[in-house]
Amino acid sequence: MASIIALVILGLLWGGVYLLMAEGLNLIYGVMKVVNLAHGDLIVFGGLLGYSLFAHAGFTPIAALLPVALVLGALGAVVQWGILERIPLVGADGELRTLLATFGLSYVVSNTSFLLWGGQFQSIPFLQGALRLGPIAIPEGLLACSLAAFIAALLVDFWLHRTLAGKALRATAQSPLGAASCGLEIRRIRIIAFALGTAMAGGAGALVIALVPFQISSGGDLTVQSFTLIALGGLGNYLGAWIAAEILGLAEVLSQYYLGPDIASAIIYLLFIAVLLFRPQGLLGRLGRV
Amino acid sequence: MARQRQVRSAGRIILAAAWCALCAAPAARAAEEGPIRVGCSITETGPYSPPAVFELQGYRLAAEEINKAGGLLGRKVEIVNYDDQGNPSTAVQLYQKLIYSDRVDLLLSPYETDLMSAVAPLVTRAKKVMPSLGANVDAFQGQFPYLVQAITETPRYMGPAIDLAASRGYKTIALLIQNTQFPQQLARGIEQEATAKGMRVVFKESFPPTTTDFSALVLKAAEAHPDVIVGATYLADSEGIVRAAKAQNINAKMFAFSIGPVEPEFGRGLGAAADGVFGTTLYFPTLHTAGNAEFVAAFKEKFERMPDYHAAVAYASLKVLAEAVRKVGSLDQDKIRDALLAASVDTVAGHFQLSPTGLQIGYTSYVLQWQHGAQALVWPADQATAAPELPHGAW
Repeated sequence: MASIIALVILGLLWGGVYLLMAEGLNLIYGVMKVVNLAHGDLIVFGGLLGYSLFAHAGFTPIAALLPVALVLGALGAVVQWGILERIPLVGADGELRTLLATFGLSYVVSNTSFLLWGGQFQSIPFLQGALRLGPIAIPEGLLACSLAAFIAALLVDFWLHRTLAGKALRATAQSPLGAASCGLEIRRIRIIAFALGTAMAGGAGALVIALVPFQISSGGDLTVQSFTLIALGGLGNYLGAWIAAEILGLAEVLSQYYLGPDIASAIIYLLFIAVLLFRPQGLLGRLGRV
Repeated sequence: MARQRQVRSAGRIILAAAWCALCAAPAARAAEEGPIRVGCSITETGPYSPPAVFELQGYRLAAEEINKAGGLLGRKVEIVNYDDQGNPSTAVQLYQKLIYSDRVDLLLSPYETDLMSAVAPLVTRAKKVMPSLGANVDAFQGQFPYLVQAITETPRYMGPAIDLAASRGYKTIALLIQNTQFPQQLARGIEQEATAKGMRVVFKESFPPTTTDFSALVLKAAEAHPDVIVGATYLADSEGIVRAAKAQNINAKMFAFSIGPVEPEFGRGLGAAADGVFGTTLYFPTLHTAGNAEFVAAFKEKFERMPDYHAAVAYASLKVLAEAVRKVGSLDQDKIRDALLAASVDTVAGHFQLSPTGLQIGYTSYVLQWQHGAQALVWPADQATAAPELPHGAW
């Protein structure tokens, strides 16, 4: 029997990986109420960009993190400025219009990836060993991704709650009209938020491609996985997303061991259905927020 | 009045038909003197295009060589191909067009199994022979009599790898299987081969194709203490299993995968961790098969890259088809099929021989190993370019 401790550690670390990939989506939804359906494709784009930096310039995923995040952030800013900002959000079908726009964007991003990198799975050999604590092995790659997820979550939380720009962002999220009447440049603030969200998606991709090979069609699954996770935690809720990610990681690893891999892949959705039935606002979400 | 109009329109139809027949007759005669047109759909664009483009290049090279050697039945060979974008329903429409509108003389196969299976009923209805590049055995049990298999059948994929393990005295296997059609059929072949060689499968588990985290699965497999960990996999899952094994320091005497190590991306993605891992391939540029050295040289010159197995089996399938046509002396599809079923030909991809239902029983597979960052052909011994490095050391 593998020690239950080893499985729990693996589960928590994979939870960190899932969180890392969902954070950008959570930020964009939290402050803008836009579900970015291109999220997974942006993660893959970031990952493949990191792969190219590794293959042609020798950048490790950690060194590639910043350049990839900058490129994806710039891309996000252009998308927000050029497309989403011009779509009226008011009315019953306001959210539907942004959904359609980001759905279209997902095609543009994944096909651009295909033109640039082709259709094959790519990955990077990096941090493949393990830290040993007595009999327990802690995979380095998983640990690095989890730490990055944790740091990113802390930084975003600090930025949103302790800085003027962050507070302006939250004010804009609560009431665009109120924020604008206080003299905030809500256009610019929304561009920053979307750019930050896509930068986080790209950064996540640059790290995770060292753990999971990416191919241009991987994006769809990642979007669904990330969206399920943030919905589970309560859309836009950071602590909730973190708890949901850890629960998912644990459930996935433990069920893969005890119940078999077929059930493990279904567990995320079984949990999601249970939450929708019994706590539709998500684990830590407030009623009426969704 | 109405009746009169009917008669008149009937007359017009007859006239039109006669006119068409008059026009078509010279055209048909011209077609017989023109090139022999060989049709296929190929995934030239989209995520599934890289192997299919190799296949198209294999077909093109074969056609070029046939033409250089004087053509077929005194006529040139011309390949008519359309892009199916990897979509089975598009492929069906394209084969419909090839058969009924373009009226091609011969058919070649699309890649891969999904597309081939989609066009199989249509091709069979039209009674057109098609050397098919689908490895799964289902299409070659007799229900599609005009399809013949021109690639190694799935159950034989990993036979030589099991043979290598058995030759080293390894006794137990842990089998990890992706839960899709090809790997499952492959796993049944592995189990049969293992039993035949006196080995035992001590752990067997399947996983869905969306799995990205293999840590718990590999941990569980290791508890059965297998000599060999075998994956019936594709590229991404084979990498995932190797990563999980290395990160948790799970060791076995041998790691072997069906698809994964054969791709160059396996070595690029895993770096040093790829070294020592075994994979299966249906072809290798150094094989001592009939005409292989010439094929590799010609392919390299024409397309500026080394041929892979898709290119080799495609090239061989057109060569075998042409040989059958030559033997028959006409384009009679039934006679061509019978000639193919009776064929026993050495090709660049191996010895081409079929069962009475068209199953490929001649082609086999080969074992490669990543050694010092490159693939080496290690088994069977008579084709090897390097000795297999066994057992696999600790990570």
